[in-house]
Amino acid sequence: MSAALTPINPLLDKNLINAFIDGVVKTLSLMANTNVKTMKPSVEKNFQAKGDIAGMVGMVAGPMKGTMTISYQKEAIFSILDKMLGEKHTEIDGPVADAVGELANQIYGSAKTTLNQMGFAFEMAIPTVIRGTFTISKAHNGATLVIPFELENGAKFFVEITVC
Amino acid sequence: MFPTTTKFLVIDDFATMRKIIKKVLTELGYTNVEEADDGKTALPALKKAVEDGKPFQFVISDWNMPGMTGIDLLKACKADSNLKSIPFMLVTAESEQKNIVEAAKNGVSDYVVKPFNATTLKEKLERIYQKHNNQKAA
Repeated sequence: MSAALTPINPLLDKNLINAFIDGVVKTLSLMANTNVKTMKPSVEKNFQAKGDIAGMVGMVAGPMKGTMTISYQKEAIFSILDKMLGEKHTEIDGPVADAVGELANQIYGSAKTTLNQMGFAFEMAIPTVIRGTFTISKAHNGATLVIPFELENGAKFFVEITVC
Repeated sequence: MFPTTTKFLVIDDFATMRKIIKKVLTELGYTNVEEADDGKTALPALKKAVEDGKPFQFVISDWNMPGMTGIDLLKACKADSNLKSIPFMLVTAESEQKNIVEAAKNGVSDYVVKPFNATTLKEKLERIYQKHNNQKAA
């Protein structure tokens, strides 16, 4: 078996993008009975979380380090929580933050399994939750892969991946 | 299947996952469900329940937790003569072969890989019931 794969530009690796898309689709369909529409991914120069609350996981695979952030517009996370737990939320509070963390955990776990089966060597990590909008500086090499998703009610959330 | 009076301990550092599991258990008729937020708080709770004469009869634990992980809790339970026969299910986002082998080696009753739906959890419970009943009969 060869050493773990380290792609030259992981943000443009189709397998990596698809692993995260599949992770999102599978997690929300099984855990929250929610169908999502995947929008066109893009690479942005500066990282700027697009939602009202975000779950972030540090991604480590040998020398490759990065972050996976899933940031939700509040209407998106409220709709997911309604379907997942039967809970109606109107404010970004502790229980909403907890769910955002757990979803980040599951989506990253699902993507990580797919990627590691291809020969990557990502490790599991404990997610962090950030409320409000934020930027990340000096933490990556100047590019963020953004994959937007849309729910049936039109609300959006975004998977944002940085690698350094 | 396990009787509806079965006493469950659900362990996860995320309240959301505890709620999801509790919701499924309630739908299946199980209402005697307690919670802990990681292995470190679960282990004393499991021991105390034995001392009080009301032991837990089923453990459902997450794998990836701060403090004490699910696999370490499983090992601690299997090393304790009072806890080792309690059915132990690991709920995990770790679906890689090495993790599954590690869990099996340490005597896990079964594991469920996240994300999952209610049907999967129910099937796993049924499988564990069969397994433990066969062991008792043997």
